[in-house]
Formats: sequence, structure tokens, C-alpha cells
Amino acid sequence: MKKLLFTTLCIISVLSYAQDQSSVSESATTKIADYLKPGKSKFMLRGYYHTGFDNIQTGDDKESRFNPGTIAPILMYKQSDRLFFEAEFEGSFEGEGFDLGLEYANVSYVLNDYMIVRAGKFLLPFGSFMEKLHPAWINRLSTVPLGYGHDGILPTTDIGVELRGAFYAGNIKLNYQLYAINGPQLKVGGDEPEEDGMLNFGAFEDNNLDKTFGGRLGIFPFSNSSLELGFSALSGSVGSQETVYENVSTNMYAMDLSFVRNVSFLKSMVDIKGQYNFVKTDNANYDDLEGAPGDQYTYTNESSAYYGQLSIRPSMSGNNFLRKLELVGRYSALETPEGALWEQSPTQTAVGLNYWFDWRTVLKIGYQTTDGLQDGHNADETISSNLIYVHWALGF
Amino acid sequence: MKKIALIIAFSFCLIMIFVTSCKPSEAIASKTGAQIWGENCVRCHNAASPATFSDVEWEVAARHMQIRANLTTDETEKVIKFLQSAN
Repeated sequence: MKKLLFTTLCIISVLSYAQDQSSVSESATTKIADYLKPGKSKFMLRGYYHTGFDNIQTGDDKESRFNPGTIAPILMYKQSDRLFFEAEFEGSFEGEGFDLGLEYANVSYVLNDYMIVRAGKFLLPFGSFMEKLHPAWINRLSTVPLGYGHDGILPTTDIGVELRGAFYAGNIKLNYQLYAINGPQLKVGGDEPEEDGMLNFGAFEDNNLDKTFGGRLGIFPFSNSSLELGFSALSGSVGSQETVYENVSTNMYAMDLSFVRNVSFLKSMVDIKGQYNFVKTDNANYDDLEGAPGDQYTYTNESSAYYGQLSIRPSMSGNNFLRKLELVGRYSALETPEGALWEQSPTQTAVGLNYWFDWRTVLKIGYQTTDGLQDGHNADETISSNLIYVHWALGF
Repeated sequence: MKKIALIIAFSFCLIMIFVTSCKPSEAIASKTGAQIWGENCVRCHNAASPATFSDVEWEVAARHMQIRANLTTDETEKVIKFLQSAN
């Protein structure tokens, strides 16, 4: 009997102790959960980085180097279901130092299911490449097509206000972006007078009182969103106020195409991208550097650039290694105004083989050849440039 | 300048009326979050695994993609629910 009583007391004691411990544990868990419980405001840090090795031959000049690459942290802040802020910084090594720039920073407000208004500095939806495809972990090659990037003829970012959204008309999806921005600026008489008549994009200040307006309309003709056709336009004054160039304006147009589809007989994902761009800036007179003081020259200021890209990834192959490989090919061309000191009409072919470690980490091996480049030493001659690269890009 | 402002205001009203009066077909409206995720992510990049981010992080990442990839609010909500349920 004594044994039974003792055993019962022991069991009750153990159970009470366990219950106490359980209560303490539950209480601690609740406290931690309460502490970690997200509010309506949510913050996230993302971005991308790339680095690699480049072997470049331009004319007779050769260069071989490990590329320190670019780091681009992106801050995202969701204040509520309607209010969203994002900013991207871009850090790169220049000479002996490190440059940190602001790629974009803007705030968006969801007006309704089909409309979002945003303000600040944003990537311009002129075509699709610069807004959606240029980040190193998204771009299938390590370079951008001719006409894009530094000294390109196409807009990248600007400061202003934008209305954008998407909606359906039956099975067809449409998306639109309309914006008013400070706009590009005409380059005249700066540190590089040979670039007179070119446009400068992404300036923080407006050089005139007029605003530049633009937009893009995207159409998905098929209900599975595999094909998108885009039409873009941009128009505005580019000359500085109270100068002889104040009435100079520019008009730009672009058409872009994207087709992405799993093709079963190839057991592959096929991705086709393309964009054609045309830029027409009003003619103006510029100082002739090689003539007598006061001499001027002019030219028809029209430029164009286009690219087409095809990539195939055997993502449905039974072989695990093959599934991670991707073949890419791209052709691009640029035509700048005849008679301008920055006249050139290069063409470029790029091919690449990518290995995807996961959905956002890629090793890119590629070869690119560019013909018809302007020779910096002799303006009457053209030269070729060849690039072999091995790059590692990571989205985070 | 006033003329431009008037044109913009008129265009805005016109777009608002047009956009809100358009409706998706029944097939489009019944698309699941998984379908929308599968069709839209790969237009630019490889589709992310639902396990990539936490439920809370997906709410932020998806809102970023709603703006960048031009998704409707309905599509975004469906994708968030799918990613959170599959996480």
C-alpha cells in the first residue's frame, strides 16, 4: 500500500513539474512569437552582385583582368498593402576608389486593382531591357546590347511621376506605363565637345521648364502570358533654357518583344527577346572643333539601335547537369548620326554558355565580337573589339 | 502648360474609365496562384522556390514584383497565398 501511495505521489509530482515546465515553455514561445509577429510595415534587403574575368582586345590594345564587378543592394519597404518604397544603389570600383550611385528610389501607391502611381527616380519603361532585364543575375549575358548603358542612345532612369498598371480585356492582358519626367538633356560644349548633340540621361536637375512625357503599352495576346509585345514613346525638350538650343526637342520610339515558353519536343525552355529603338532629335548647329573660331556644323540627328536574343535551357531533360545549362546568342546593332563626331555604326555578336547553380546564381562563360567601332585615335578608321569573359552573378 | 495639364487630366480620366470597365474572362479569373507564378516569373528570370523567403518576406517581394512585372492586385494576392501555402 505504501509503495502504491509513494508511486502515485511520484507520478503526480512529475506530471505537475512537467505541466509547469510546459506552461513556462508555452509562455516563452508566446512571448517570442509576439515579439517576432510582423506588423503591417515590412522591410527587406535584396540585390545582386557579379564578378569575373575579362580578356579584351580592342584594335591593337589588349587587356586582361579580374573584374571587381558591381554590387547593387535593393531596399524594399512595404508600409501597407497600398504603400511601397524601394531604392537600388549601385557600387562599383572606379580607378583607385569605389563609386556608390543611386540607381533609383521611388515610392508607389496602389490606387486600385489596376492602377499604381509612383514618384521619385525610377527605371524608365522605354522598351523592356533596362527596366526588367539588365540586372546581372537576370541578363543572360554579361554585357548589354549596343546602344544601352554608358554613352548609349537610350534612356535608363529619370526623376518624375508615373502611372502604371495592368488589366484584362477578356483573355488578353494589357499593361501600361505613363510618365512625366525631367527628361534627357542635350550635350553641348561640355568637357567632351566631340559628343555635342548626344543626349545625357538620368540627370538630377532639369535644364528647362518643359517636362518630358512618355509611356509604354504592353500586350499579351495569349492567355498564358508567353508572348508580350511592347510599344514605347518618349517626347520632350532637351535644350537648356535661355540658350540657342532651348527649342531643341527629342522624340524616341521603341518596340519590344518577349516570348518565353517550354517547348516539349526540345525538352527546353526557349526565351526570345528583342527590341528596336529609334531616336530623332531636332537638328542644331554645333561648334566646329576643326574649323576656324565661330565655324559651326550640323547633321541630321537620328539614331537607332536594336537587338535580338535567343536562349535555350533544357530544363525538362532527364539529365540533372544538362538541366542547369543554358545556351545564349545575341545580335545587336547601333547607328548614330552621319556627320556627327560621335558617328559610328557597329554591330555585335555575342554567344554564351551559362551554368545555373540555383534559380538566381549563374556562372556565365561567353565570347563577344564587335565590329565597326569608332577608333578613338583616328576618327576615319573603324576597329573591332573582342571579349572573352567568365562571370559569376548572384541575386540575393 | 495649362493645355498639357488638361490633356493629361482628360487622358487620366479616360484611362481610368476604360481600365476599370474591362473584365477578365472566366478562364483568366479562375487561374490559380501557382499558374500565375509559373507563367509570369519566367518571363524575366527563373522562378523562385517558395522556400526561398519567409511568408512575411514574400509579401514584400511580391509587392515589388506587382509593380515591376505589371501584375494586377488580384494576381499578386493569389501568388502570395500560393507561395505562403507552399512554403
